Amino acid sequence: MTTQTDSKAKPSRLMAIWRAASIPLAAVILALLVGAVILLISGANPIAAYSALAKGAFGSTAAFGRTLEKATPLILGGLAVAFAFKGGLFNIGGQGQLLFGAIVAAGVGFGIDGLPFIIHMPLALLMGSLAGALYGAIPGALKTYTGAREVITTIMLNFIAINFTDWLADGPWKDEGIVARTPAIAEAAAIPTWGNIPAGFFLAILAAVATWYLLYRTTTGYEIRTVGLNSNAAKYAGIKVSYTVILTMAISGFLAGMGGAIETLGVVGRYQPGFNAGLGFDGITIALLARTNPLGVVPAALLVGAMQAGSSQMQFDAHVPFQIIDVIQALILFFVSADMIVRWIVRVQPEEGEQVTLSTSWG
Amino acid sequence: MTTAAMAKAKSRGDYVRIVGLIFGGIVLLGIIYGYITNPVTTTAVLASTLRQSTPLVLGALCGLIGERSGIINIGIEGQMLMAAFIAFLANVYTGNLFVAVLAGLATGAVLGGFLAFMSVTLKMDQIIGGTVINILALGLTSFFYQTGLTTQGKLQAIALGPLAEIPLIGPVFFDNPPITYATLILVMVVHYVLFYTRWGLRTRAVGEHPSAADTVGINVYKMRYINVIIGGSIAGLAGAYLTLEAVGSFERAMTNGRGFVALAVMIFGKYTPFGAWGAALLFGFAVALQTQLQFSGRLEIPHQFIGMLPYVLTIVVLAGFVGRTRVPAAVGKPYEKE
Amino acid sequence: MRYTKIWLVAVIFVMALSLAACGGAAPTQAPAEKEAAAEEAAAEESAAEQASADEAAEEEAPAEEPAAAAEGDCSSEEVFCVGLVTDVGEIDDKSFNQSAWEGVQIAGEAGAQVDYIETGDAKDYAANIDLFAQNGYDVIVTVGFALGEATATAASNYPDIDFIGVDQFQAEPVDNLAGLIFPEDKAGFMAGALAAQLTQSGTIAAVLGTDLVPPVVAFKEGYEAGARHINPDINLISTFHPGGLDVAFTDPEWGASTAKQAIDQGADVIFGAGGKTGNGALIEVAGHEGLFCIGVDTDQWETVPEAHPCLVSSAMKLITPGVAGLIEMSQAGQFPSGNFVGDVGLAPFHDFESQISDEIKASLEEINTGLLDGSIETGYNPG
Repeated sequence: MTTQTDSKAKPSRLMAIWRAASIPLAAVILALLVGAVILLISGANPIAAYSALAKGAFGSTAAFGRTLEKATPLILGGLAVAFAFKGGLFNIGGQGQLLFGAIVAAGVGFGIDGLPFIIHMPLALLMGSLAGALYGAIPGALKTYTGAREVITTIMLNFIAINFTDWLADGPWKDEGIVARTPAIAEAAAIPTWGNIPAGFFLAILAAVATWYLLYRTTTGYEIRTVGLNSNAAKYAGIKVSYTVILTMAISGFLAGMGGAIETLGVVGRYQPGFNAGLGFDGITIALLARTNPLGVVPAALLVGAMQAGSSQMQFDAHVPFQIIDVIQALILFFVSADMIVRWIVRVQPEEGEQVTLSTSWG
Repeated sequence: MTTAAMAKAKSRGDYVRIVGLIFGGIVLLGIIYGYITNPVTTTAVLASTLRQSTPLVLGALCGLIGERSGIINIGIEGQMLMAAFIAFLANVYTGNLFVAVLAGLATGAVLGGFLAFMSVTLKMDQIIGGTVINILALGLTSFFYQTGLTTQGKLQAIALGPLAEIPLIGPVFFDNPPITYATLILVMVVHYVLFYTRWGLRTRAVGEHPSAADTVGINVYKMRYINVIIGGSIAGLAGAYLTLEAVGSFERAMTNGRGFVALAVMIFGKYTPFGAWGAALLFGFAVALQTQLQFSGRLEIPHQFIGMLPYVLTIVVLAGFVGRTRVPAAVGKPYEKE
Repeated sequence: MRYTKIWLVAVIFVMALSLAACGGAAPTQAPAEKEAAAEEAAAEESAAEQASADEAAEEEAPAEEPAAAAEGDCSSEEVFCVGLVTDVGEIDDKSFNQSAWEGVQIAGEAGAQVDYIETGDAKDYAANIDLFAQNGYDVIVTVGFALGEATATAASNYPDIDFIGVDQFQAEPVDNLAGLIFPEDKAGFMAGALAAQLTQSGTIAAVLGTDLVPPVVAFKEGYEAGARHINPDINLISTFHPGGLDVAFTDPEWGASTAKQAIDQGADVIFGAGGKTGNGALIEVAGHEGLFCIGVDTDQWETVPEAHPCLVSSAMKLITPGVAGLIEMSQAGQFPSGNFVGDVGLAPFHDFESQISDEIKASLEEINTGLLDGSIETGYNPG
């Protein structure tokens, strides 16, 4: 077979990149193809729709900036979920942790006056992230001490977080006027945007690298992954499982909270109910798209962020409702995961240990 | 499990039972007291409790049938939403509510089949499979839904003759629309089938020890497929409940997280139909109660705190009294025939 | 072979789309790609896209987009363009987005080129407004108080464009920005007065969206004040949706269930004020004989036909004529800045016309006059 000799002749690193990238690439193409059929059924022109989508996501520096802006909370939300999965936990509560991060960052942002940027912004960011960590630690502690599954408690805590933050924004922290929202944050607390490029995006990248480092290059990370694979084995290996579970949830919450804090400090400029809707849930999709790989979260978030950023242009140019991007997202996730189908087309053999099972976090 | 651990588990079981009895007693006394002092309101709250719990019980039944056979289904939300949409369309275009309910059931079953295909045949991770269904259903229904579609009507309550005349119990249980009745019956049927029939035994065997089941000649794949499809059709019934019985119309994203609450209810109920029913009633009661507290207007608490009630109550009861739930052993693992 | 297969799929995909999109008009560019290398395929793909997109634009004439057929250049003097940006929610929400869009469409019938963008994420408000502004639109309508900040910013960035902010109170007037606001409390007051005169049981209810949205609070306060104006001892039961802003208006099941809970304790007139959540309540009431329901925002007789059996009236904000009027003023070069107060009132009784006694009609008339001349106050005082 020519292909056999072909692949041997190529440098192996190129081959590895091809292996890693081919499945997602093919999955995206397949998803767009099926999406195009749906668009055709609905009477829209898929090519016009997709080119408008691309224009809205990458057509100008402003568009590209918006893609990065959209990708930022998705990266952090995705990291939060992926990190918990590595520790054998299913954190559906990213939304709640993100809301707490967003509102506490706003509180620090508008509540303190006169600090220099170098202190105020990092302080607001840190406090927001810590609020997320604290809120994430609750289901961890509940699981450890009472056995209550985090799957339930995080769902419930999401609802509680919405009510609590709504109350804060419409009550004690309410801005003057009739609109329910907090006052605008101080200028010194704002995360800058360089030209069209939001600085928050680089913070998210930093977080992704740090998460990867923590998981794969530190003892704590090793312990978290061991607990994630098999908590009984971890116990016999002398790892404090209870402590690790709480720590995992706290770090996961920290990441989600940071996502919320960056939204407040870098994009919205205050906390306003409804402005962070759905971000935490998107994180689940991103983590699954990235197969829970912290570095894979970045391209996954960029892809989804680009679609979100381009959806308005798609409406404007092609008159296609923005909900089609949800359909395409689901299809991408399907084809990325249903690699049997994709492998038949691309003919890449799975590597050892490439298979991801998240279902260990169920139970 | 060591003997000490077993003893501990047993005493914990006793503890849970006692606390449960006390809790149930308090609830019963509370209901009686409420009925004596204010019969109208008490009846209204309990009737509302039953309504609020209906989609949750159905969703939980869908989930637990799947998990008992070894398949995690977190796509309940999507199955409900899509079925709600198709049932609504069927009602609009045929004007026949019975056909519409069947359309809802069929839609749920098809999505159940899709989940089974992903997790059994493609051996995809089951959490991903469910998530795919959730996003897909949200996207497709929102994309294709057009307003201006009007239905002829919705399923109305049928009073069961003299039974409906019984004070308190009558209006709460025996004066309901068809899907609510069907839900009550389904809870009992699923319980019976799961624990007292060969089919149920096989289902549980497949969920606990698929390889052992395989050796005695049970077709693991077939069992899982059929169970997940049946579960899907029950989630479809929940969707039909939303559009055909509760509301009479469709709106985008109208499930609003009920599929996820159903998931919580299923775990809360320890993967048993009656447990799920109890958990759903507790949740539904908390929702009805928070509405009633707002109605009374006497509480000087911001309504957001009253709105937290169902969720806080769930966490408290779960953490305080229910604790750890045992998951069917083979859940989440694709079965590889040897 | 392994390499070519994926690109083969891509190429077939592009071909299929070109064929489908252009009805066989432009399949000529595609076949040449078959042997092409990867990069070339990609380049060709975008070329094909461009070509077919252009052709499609000429042919495109979807039924619901009358304006798209006559695609003109909005930056030119002759073409008058009006764009609308919705609040989070859809253009066909049977509520304020839809009413505002109908107002824009009136301008469309008069020859203006009109278009809308549905906002999916609250953080896109500014970007969506920019899309219209940068394409040379002359008037931009933004719907909902939540767009207030983004609209004000855009108004100062684009001084040549007139902005209409529906439900947006302007604390500091900007020349090219008119806030179209409504005294919802007065509409609610009328609805409450009607409800209090219709009730037999002495209990009336309100099923509401969320108090995070000021107009909802105004409707509620007005409703309760109006009911008490007729009967100070009336039993009022009202409730807000217990969820956040993102679900409070899209939960018809909760609305229906809550309405039923109110009916079960004797409420016989129910005011549904909360988008689709409220619509759920209206449809529930319609299933019970002899009860009344009152809609909100628009004449819901038109938007929620399922509620006909109970829908006696609606507490209306006349958004459609308000928006249309402001657009007309902008076109005539007489755009008002600051706040522009639109009309409110009760919708016609439709099929209930004969059931409403002359006594009630007279009383409502009297209250309406009182509200207008200020002799009756609703007692609602925001912020």
